[in-house]
Amino acid sequence: MTDRLLVVENLRTTFRTVSGVIPAVGGVSFDLGANETLGIVGESGSGKTVLARTIMGLQPRTNIEVSGSVLLNGQQVVGASERVMREMWATQVAMVFQDPMTSLNPVMRIGRQIDETLRVRLGMDRRAARARAIELLNMVGIPSAEARYRAFPTELSGGMRQRVVIATALACSPKLLIADEPTTGLDVTIQSQILNLLDSLKQQLDMSVILITHDLGVVATRTSRIIVMYAGQIVEMGATRDIFHHHRMRYTRALLDSSPKVANPSHTRLAVIPGRPPNLSTLPPGCHFAPRCAFATEQCHRERPTLQAADSPGHVFACWNPLAASTNEGDSTR
Amino acid sequence: MLKYMVRRLVMLVGIVFVISVGSFYLIHLLPGDPATVILGTGASPANRAILYKQLGLNKPIIEQYFIWIGNVLHGNLGTSFISQTSVASTIRTAFPIDLELIILSQVLAFAAAIPLAMRSARKPNGFLDRVLSAGSFTLLSIPPFIIIVLLVLFISIKLGVNNTGPSSFVPFTSDWVINLESLSLPAFTLAIASFVVYFRILRSDMIATLQEEFITMARSKGLSRRRIMWRHAFRPSSVALLGTAGVNIGGLLAGSFVVQYLLGIPGLGYTLIAGIASSDYLLVQGIVLVVSVGVVLINFFFDFIISLVDPRISRE
Repeated sequence: MTDRLLVVENLRTTFRTVSGVIPAVGGVSFDLGANETLGIVGESGSGKTVLARTIMGLQPRTNIEVSGSVLLNGQQVVGASERVMREMWATQVAMVFQDPMTSLNPVMRIGRQIDETLRVRLGMDRRAARARAIELLNMVGIPSAEARYRAFPTELSGGMRQRVVIATALACSPKLLIADEPTTGLDVTIQSQILNLLDSLKQQLDMSVILITHDLGVVATRTSRIIVMYAGQIVEMGATRDIFHHHRMRYTRALLDSSPKVANPSHTRLAVIPGRPPNLSTLPPGCHFAPRCAFATEQCHRERPTLQAADSPGHVFACWNPLAASTNEGDSTR
Repeated sequence: MLKYMVRRLVMLVGIVFVISVGSFYLIHLLPGDPATVILGTGASPANRAILYKQLGLNKPIIEQYFIWIGNVLHGNLGTSFISQTSVASTIRTAFPIDLELIILSQVLAFAAAIPLAMRSARKPNGFLDRVLSAGSFTLLSIPPFIIIVLLVLFISIKLGVNNTGPSSFVPFTSDWVINLESLSLPAFTLAIASFVVYFRILRSDMIATLQEEFITMARSKGLSRRRIMWRHAFRPSSVALLGTAGVNIGGLLAGSFVVQYLLGIPGLGYTLIAGIASSDYLLVQGIVLVVSVGVVLINFFFDFIISLVDPRISRE
C-alpha cells in the first residue's frame, strides 16, 4: 500500500444539526495511486463535496464528526489539527472549487492571490513569486498574463476565473488535485476547455486528480477509475471502462441513461430517476436506492447490500438484484 | 475609476450649490424683514442701513444670492451684530475643536472596535463574542449626556484628576497638554457611541465574509488564520463600516454639542447653540453652511476610500 498516494478507509463524516444527525459520508473506502485520475459521480447531495472536503481536512470544525482514516502521502488527515493540515494544503493537496464566481477574493488582484501562496508557502520573494505567478497564468492559458496579473476577478469571465483558480491550486505543485465540479458554473463550450486543461496539466505536472462531477460525460474519457456515490456511500466502483460498459448497479444505469447523448435523435426525452435523493437523517434500513428503484425486491427494502466483487478486478458494487454481468453494453461515452 | 470620481465630483458641486442656496435662504424663510430678523425690532436705522448695504437687501433676491456667495467664497460670512465679530473668525476658532474631538474619538473608537470585532467574529456566539455583544449593547443604551456626567463625577470629582472637569478647556495652541486633558472625557464619551456602532457592523460583516467560499479557498492555500482574517476577510468586510463612519463623523460635526455644552467646550456645536439662543442669525447661517459642506465633503471622502477598498463599487 505504500505506493498509494491516498488511502481512505471507512471514512464517515457526520453533521450534527438542529434537525438531527446527518451522515453525509457514511463509511467510504478507496485508494488512489500516483498520477491517477479518479472520478467521483453522484447526484446533488450524494456526499461528493463533503467527501472531498473531508479528504482535504477542510471541513469547518464545529458540529461535525469525522471518523475512519485518510492517509494522504502517509500522513493521517482525520483528526489532524489545522496547523498540521496547513502544512499539507497547497503543497500536498489542493482544491479547484466549484464556483469561480465566489471562490476568488473579489477585492484582491488575481496576481496577488497566486503570489501569496508562493510567498507564504514556498518563501519566494516578491519578484520571484510574481514571475512564477505569470508563468502559472500562462500555463493555464490566460492570454496576456502579464496584464491580467493586475486584474480583479470581476474583470474576468467565468472561464478565465476558473483558470485562475486552477493556477492558484497548482502554485505549489500539489501531489493531489481535487477538482470539485470544476465546470458546473461554466458554459458548456468552456467546460471541455477547462477539463482538457486539467487533463494536460495532470500529465505535465505528474499529479493525481480526483474529479468530482454529477455528469458522467465529464469523467468518461478523463478518468481511469470511477466511484459512484449514493446517499453518502459508494454503490459502485471500478475501472472507467467497467462502469460504462459492465456496470452492475441499477443506480449507475439510471445515471447513465439520464445523461444526454449526441447520438440521440432530436427531441428525445431524457430518462429521469424518479423520486428524490433520500433524506440522510432518516435513511431506510435496506438499500438506500430501493425506494426509487423499479427493480427493488422485498430483500432490498429490508437488508442493506454491501460491496461485492464483480468480474473484473477492482470492480465492486452494492446491489441485491444487479444487472447481469454482460447485458449492459448499451450505453457508452458521448 | 476616474470616471466614477468625476461623476461623484460633479454631484458634490451640485449638492454644495443646493446647500448654499438653502443656507442663504434661511434668513429669508424667517417671518418678517431680514433686517428685523437679524437685528431685532429695536435696531437703529443706522444699523439697518449698514445691514441693507452689507447684504444688498434692496436688490433682487437672485442678485442678493450672488453677492452673498461671492462674499462666502472670499471667506467672508458677514459680521455678527450680536457679538460684533466676524462670523468667519468665530468659526475658525471653534472648528478646530470639533476636528480635534472627532479625530480623538474616532481613533479611540476604531482602535477598539476593529480588533475586538475581528476577535468576536472568529467564534460567533463564543464566550468573547457574547460578552462583547452584550457589553456593547448596554453601552448603546446609555445616552452620552449620562456617560459624560458619570465620567465627570468619578474621574474629575471623586478621583480629582486635574483639567478634566467642566470649563477646563484651553486651546491646543496655548497648552496642548491641558488641551488634551480637557478633551479626554468628551472624546472618550463620543468614542463609546461610535465604538458600539463600528463594532457591531464590522462583527456582523466579518461573520458573513468568513462564510464565503473565497475564505475556504484561502484556507486551502495553507495561509495562517491571521493572514486570512486581515488580508482576505477584513477588506471586503469594511465597506459598510466605512460608509457608516462617514455618516457618523459627519454627524459629529457640530453634533457633539451635548458634551460640548455640558463641559463648556467652545466648539461649533456649542457656538451654534449659543447663536440660536441669542438669535445671532448670521452666525447660525455661517455654521449651518460650514457644517453642511463639511458633512458632504466627509462623505465624499469616505466614498472615495470605499471605492479604493472595493474596486467593484467604482465599476458601473
